[in-house]
Amino acid sequence: MTFDPTKSDRELHHRALVRAAWGTVPAELPPPPDPAPLAVAPTGRRARRSATRLLTLLLFGVWLVGCGNHHQGVVLWHAYNGAERTALESTAAQWNAQHPEQELELVAVPYGAFADKLTSAIPGGNGPDLFIYPQDRIGDWADSGVIEPIEFWLDDKRVERFTNEAIAAMAYKGSLWGLPVTVKSLALYYRTDLVETPPASTDELLALAPRMHARDGYAIAYANVDLYGHAPWLFGYGGKIMDDTGKLAIATPEAAAAMGFARELVTTGAAPTRSDGAYVATLFNEGKAATVMSGPWFVADIASNVPWKVAPLPVVSATGRPAAPFLGAEGILMSARAHDKTAAFAVMDALTSDQAAIARARLARQVVPNPAAYEDAEVARDPVLAAFRAQLANTVPMPMGPAMRMVWTPYKTALGEVLAGRAEPGEQLLAVEREVHGYLSGPATH
Amino acid sequence: MSHPVVRQLRDFVLGSALAVIIATCAFVAVRNRELAAKQIDLASRAADAIAEGQAPLPTVHAVLVGDAVPSTKNPYLRQREVKDGDEWRPLTAGGSFDDKLFYDAASRFERQGRQPFKELLKDGSGCAIAVRDAPAYAQLGHVADRSRGIAIAVTPPAHPAPYPFLVMIGVLGLGAALAAAGALVGGRAARAGTFAGVAAVAIPCVLWRAPIASTAIVLVAAALALAQGAQLTDRLATGMRRHRTALGFLAPAALAMLILVAAPFVIGLVLGFYDHHQGTWTFVGLDNFGEILSGGGRPLDDPLNFWFILGVTVLWTVANVALHVTIGVSLALVLSRKWLAGKGIYRMLFILPWAVPNYITALIWKGMFTGEYGAVNSMLDYAGLDHVSWFGSWATAFSANVITNTWLGFPFMMVVALGALETIPKELYEAAAVDGASAWQRFRHITLPHLRPALGPAVALGSIWTFNMFNVIYLVSAGQPGGATNILVTDAYRWAFERGERYGMAAAYATIIFFILLLWTVFGTRVVRRKGDDS
Repeated sequence: MTFDPTKSDRELHHRALVRAAWGTVPAELPPPPDPAPLAVAPTGRRARRSATRLLTLLLFGVWLVGCGNHHQGVVLWHAYNGAERTALESTAAQWNAQHPEQELELVAVPYGAFADKLTSAIPGGNGPDLFIYPQDRIGDWADSGVIEPIEFWLDDKRVERFTNEAIAAMAYKGSLWGLPVTVKSLALYYRTDLVETPPASTDELLALAPRMHARDGYAIAYANVDLYGHAPWLFGYGGKIMDDTGKLAIATPEAAAAMGFARELVTTGAAPTRSDGAYVATLFNEGKAATVMSGPWFVADIASNVPWKVAPLPVVSATGRPAAPFLGAEGILMSARAHDKTAAFAVMDALTSDQAAIARARLARQVVPNPAAYEDAEVARDPVLAAFRAQLANTVPMPMGPAMRMVWTPYKTALGEVLAGRAEPGEQLLAVEREVHGYLSGPATH
Repeated sequence: MSHPVVRQLRDFVLGSALAVIIATCAFVAVRNRELAAKQIDLASRAADAIAEGQAPLPTVHAVLVGDAVPSTKNPYLRQREVKDGDEWRPLTAGGSFDDKLFYDAASRFERQGRQPFKELLKDGSGCAIAVRDAPAYAQLGHVADRSRGIAIAVTPPAHPAPYPFLVMIGVLGLGAALAAAGALVGGRAARAGTFAGVAAVAIPCVLWRAPIASTAIVLVAAALALAQGAQLTDRLATGMRRHRTALGFLAPAALAMLILVAAPFVIGLVLGFYDHHQGTWTFVGLDNFGEILSGGGRPLDDPLNFWFILGVTVLWTVANVALHVTIGVSLALVLSRKWLAGKGIYRMLFILPWAVPNYITALIWKGMFTGEYGAVNSMLDYAGLDHVSWFGSWATAFSANVITNTWLGFPFMMVVALGALETIPKELYEAAAVDGASAWQRFRHITLPHLRPALGPAVALGSIWTFNMFNVIYLVSAGQPGGATNILVTDAYRWAFERGERYGMAAAYATIIFFILLLWTVFGTRVVRRKGDDS
């Protein structure tokens, strides 16, 4: 337990006036001593002394300015690059033009360190006020008090500017923890020079294989050893990660069937044995893969001379259900230690407005969760956004419980073993479930 | 020799400084605990008052909050009303500063099955909140069909009591007087004075009811008195005076070591006794160590079993160091030949792997080992051999790691061996040649014994580096398949960051690794070194 008055927003509330006075101090600093004596200083000691004094004053000034600015405005951390970053920055610039008193400061943080940084900085009162992150950590962070519930500020009208799936992805334990910025799922990219109509079922997909074989290629390429890439088959076959009560339900006959299908794709030569993002792009660009299962980010990897389109994923012929990828939603979340929560929410609200969504869809081709954005003429014309929007109807929200984060690696190992033909799906799935249980149990059983 | 009173005061300053640190820690702990208890009690009484329909306490912001009315379309949107003062009003944005707090507290209360709770707010303000059921809501009869309400009270921010400077100064003055008086009497009384003077600092601790701190201070006082009796303090002071310059030079480095090495080390050690779950730390004693050392109930061939990982780590270290030394020494022998042309170029080329940052090398090797399009498999293809799925089985994944680390590690051994070879006197070889010794005999009886003193420490150092070679394992095999190629450090990392923030487990792992390496440096290297000295 710590008492640190400087880091408490309640304290700030009580001291707002005092702080305002502090903010003016730097302006009243005496002007720095004339630097001229430095140049003509007769003795080294005097020059040194005035230099030291100057330095001290400068440092003091910097410190004061730092103090004065520290709590004003809203700080948002993000891990965006390229067009997404430009789009976010343009919306931020708009906010800043309209609200000079509540300046929004964007801080780009490398994605690799993002989550760990937040988890360690926020409880100490040092993190950002807002940050953009996929929803899969919401459960963790909500349970450990890192993020702030926001439904207090919301009403039906505000919430209904998002699609149900997207806003539901921000809900956990009956509260809302963020506003969605973009939704990401897989869809089917296909080369129009190799297939005229995209395969509507997995049977049609398998039927493509012989023709592609003749070209030394594959019917479909996707990140098949990753759970994320495999998920469309898993859910298309009716498999699960967790049941409705949040308990692990990894080893089911349906999941085994889905893994069996992934193996069939490999053994029949319809898909390469082990592929990741870079390899998938190479195959597609060289015309060695007729279709690719990937997300909106794949557009950037396609060579300019490749004729392509995007369509929703095919139906799983064995079950008649459409293949359903994970739905990942990225949202703006609020730190539980945000300095001015009302102001932070206003920023959140503005950055996820329909206008902001249109700007992001236009500039960064983000699949935005605001239906109104698709009424914008330019956004409506974009066939890629249309395909991904159509896919949204058949998606499974990524589970948010802390257990989910421990599933990825064991599942990947299991897929690798099965696809390499070294193990049977059933036994591997059991091993995954055992391993995740092993992580969850500990000396202090929670 | 200076005046006895001056010496006595010098010792007193030393002892009382320690005592003041202990007393300050005790003060902060006691003050925080008391303040928290006081605030929580205040909030709880206010919540009780408002729940029972009595007048609220004057300084506390206490309200009644109605049950949630969920929105029909969006169940996570709930409307509430609040009775703040005499009037009921909707609990929405734009009300009082505490409204958000009331709203979230009410939601949490309902989510936790209407269990009352009282705690300090986690924002460091010192405010406490108390939440409980309010049956009075029904009697107030605001809305007939909602029978229960929630009483919530938030205390104003609290400021911890200021540090009692006057008390401390007074106590220190008293202590100094006692110590000086003892010194003036001299002899045994001087020691008694020291003891009494330092122990005086314990007085406020007794008043704060901090038994551990009081005892610690008395022990410090006793230890100081004993040290004074054995003239340890005098000797220390003389030593420090004599080596003043040296100590001055050492101070910056010592300070840096204290902050950068000693402090994290101690913190890590302590964390090993705690369990971290969702932001809260629980003291669990030796449970973490117990779980690790017992293998956590997992079979011995389970990659999560500590002993399995330890086995892999030892094998990894032995295989690497053996390869580093063999390859390094062989290359050094070749490079030390007189007849070899372009020696400088070779030497530079062989040192190159060492000069490249090791994570870059590891990533390059990782790329070369990948399945279908990696360079290694392409070369196997070229040679007409089958592809190897490098990270599919334990043996190949482990080999991939060893190959990478061998590439990284041999230059060091080579450089060490080259240096050692330079120092072997030529006369020995000439004499051996005159005696008709074969090349092998010369290597066995002249070169090798001369290499040993240099290679011994290098092997000790290399084994410690390899034992903790995080980068190669993490980047090349990443523990595949199924975590079976993890070594102790990478597994510790995974406990901390990939298996639900089990920081306590990770810290316990780190402590165990430290003790393994400590044992190795103390005993293992002695073996290596003795071998070197024997010959």
